Amino acid sequence: MKPSILALAATMVATAATAQEIPQANNEWFTAAQDRIQQEIAKQPITNRAKNVIILIADGNGVGTNYATRLFAGQQAGGYGDEFVGPHEKFPYLALVKTYNTNAQTPDSAGTGTAMMAGVKTKAGVLGVNANAVRGDCSTVAGNELASISDILAAEGKSVGIISTARITHATPASAYSNSADRNWEGSVPEGCTQQTDIAQQLVAKMKDGTVDLAMGGGRRFFVSEGAQTDEGGKGRRKDGKDLIAELKGAGVQYAWNDETAGKLELSGKPILGLFEDSHMKYEADRADEPSLAQMTEMAIKSLSNNQNGFFLQIEAGRVDHANHAGNLARTVRDGIAFQEAIAIADELTNDEDTLIVVTADHEHAIAFNGYCGRGSDILGLCMDISNDKTENTGEPLLADDGKPYTVAGFLNGAGSVLTKQADGNYYGGRPEVTQEQAVDLEYLQQALIPKSSETHSGEDVAVYAKGPWAHLLEGTIEQNVIFHVMHHAATAN
Amino acid sequence: MHRRQFIALGAAFMATPTLLRAEDAFRMRDFYEKDQSFTPLAKELQDERISVNGYMAPPLKADSTFFVLTKRPMAVCPFCETEAEWPDDIMAVYTQRVFRVVPFNRRITVTGVLSLGGYKDPETGFVSRVRLEKSTFELV
Repeated sequence: MKPSILALAATMVATAATAQEIPQANNEWFTAAQDRIQQEIAKQPITNRAKNVIILIADGNGVGTNYATRLFAGQQAGGYGDEFVGPHEKFPYLALVKTYNTNAQTPDSAGTGTAMMAGVKTKAGVLGVNANAVRGDCSTVAGNELASISDILAAEGKSVGIISTARITHATPASAYSNSADRNWEGSVPEGCTQQTDIAQQLVAKMKDGTVDLAMGGGRRFFVSEGAQTDEGGKGRRKDGKDLIAELKGAGVQYAWNDETAGKLELSGKPILGLFEDSHMKYEADRADEPSLAQMTEMAIKSLSNNQNGFFLQIEAGRVDHANHAGNLARTVRDGIAFQEAIAIADELTNDEDTLIVVTADHEHAIAFNGYCGRGSDILGLCMDISNDKTENTGEPLLADDGKPYTVAGFLNGAGSVLTKQADGNYYGGRPEVTQEQAVDLEYLQQALIPKSSETHSGEDVAVYAKGPWAHLLEGTIEQNVIFHVMHHAATAN
Repeated sequence: MHRRQFIALGAAFMATPTLLRAEDAFRMRDFYEKDQSFTPLAKELQDERISVNGYMAPPLKADSTFFVLTKRPMAVCPFCETEAEWPDDIMAVYTQRVFRVVPFNRRITVTGVLSLGGYKDPETGFVSRVRLEKSTFELV
């Protein structure tokens, strides 16, 4: 057959296909999916250099945990939950991320943070050093230090901000500014360690030399000398007697310690240190006199935007992870919503044409979901039966083979274990009865299997969502350190 | 409450596991505002004998008459923290007699006399703001 006949035949097939009447064509699922296809066809990558780069990391917010927050947010809004679309879930580009550390199938936040901030994978527990360094061995720091994306972009003339609801010296925020053989050296290093200073001092040094312009989070105790009183009546932990807050104030850095003093900060580009708790900031469910993650995000973007060269901003929802460690999903999802509010404000205050926004998690947890629950089963509560004639569940809890109801979500291990330590030292027990009222309570721990005082991370993939310049480079299944390279390319592309 | 009633009640709690209904007991959050100040209810119940649900944090000392009641099982993440972090909203519990330790994640109901105000335990140095004194507890 000649080419012209081939082309004609192809046209006829295509015409026949479009002319065919599809009975479900007016179904709302069908038309919504057709709209989605049109959006995908119209999607255009942005290939100019990014003036600003924002990375938002919800610690421990893997695909499963993100699912729990989605359902909670949707149910709080009065829906069944599944249909809810979080602000990052509207972003045009997505990839799955392999999070393992070089020596750990199950990663920790120091190794994962370093992968994202410095572009190379490394060991669990170390910050800003490559895999040749040995955790806890200070002598292995020299020669193995890595430059972080914030170091690199500061050298390009951009402002740098770091925000976390955990201690600002904790693993994820510290991965943006420190080089340390151990994530736990937040306020001191072991005796005889001369190759690095503690993590708080490293932050202070960078704020003094202007390579970090804004830092907000918890962790005041590591900036105040041991025994000295902190702003809220606690005690400092620095054994070297230094008052790092006073040092920074003396260097012209503005300081805030609660929401009232935060409200008085000049958002003019003048450096800012905000330390809102002695340790981690409060869970969103318990927050009183300290700013929310969204409020800190807004302050940071307004302040850093004064730099004509743009900015790099790392934002961490640190306590999603902690609530999962506690096995307390009710707090996990509330901090998950606080994270979504930070994403929304970051998106609102920036322009897609000049700002790359990356939303991800550093790792997942040992969280899992039971079945077969009907629509609208409370994500914190019991798994209710599927109705055969209605959309919504029947309101009748499904029973396990032991005759007891069970919650939608559970953990594979943790403090919610159904096996408890008995007087003979052995662990055994059975599943406690649980009512809907108990399960949705703020303090409830979802049932877990393996007894552990703290629920663990897992090595399962996380997602990365992106929009803005070069966001389209994030696709497929990637190694976690690729995230650095996308941010770096976007900020330096010609 | 008269001494006789008090002793009888204490003995009953030790002997029968389900005399008190857990749902009738107070929760820790009934006593604390978000800013850690005391609620009006806490002030109203001061010096009263009340019941509170919670969990026994691993005791600081063996053969003690003191433990810390937490609102959730006290999960400690050795990978994340260099040391245990006490939450702000806890209760110190002083028992009538040396007690048998309960797993940290086993729900209990403690009944004791509510006492408010700063106090430093002379033996452990533990500082508390809310206490249940002359307490007994039962598994839920």
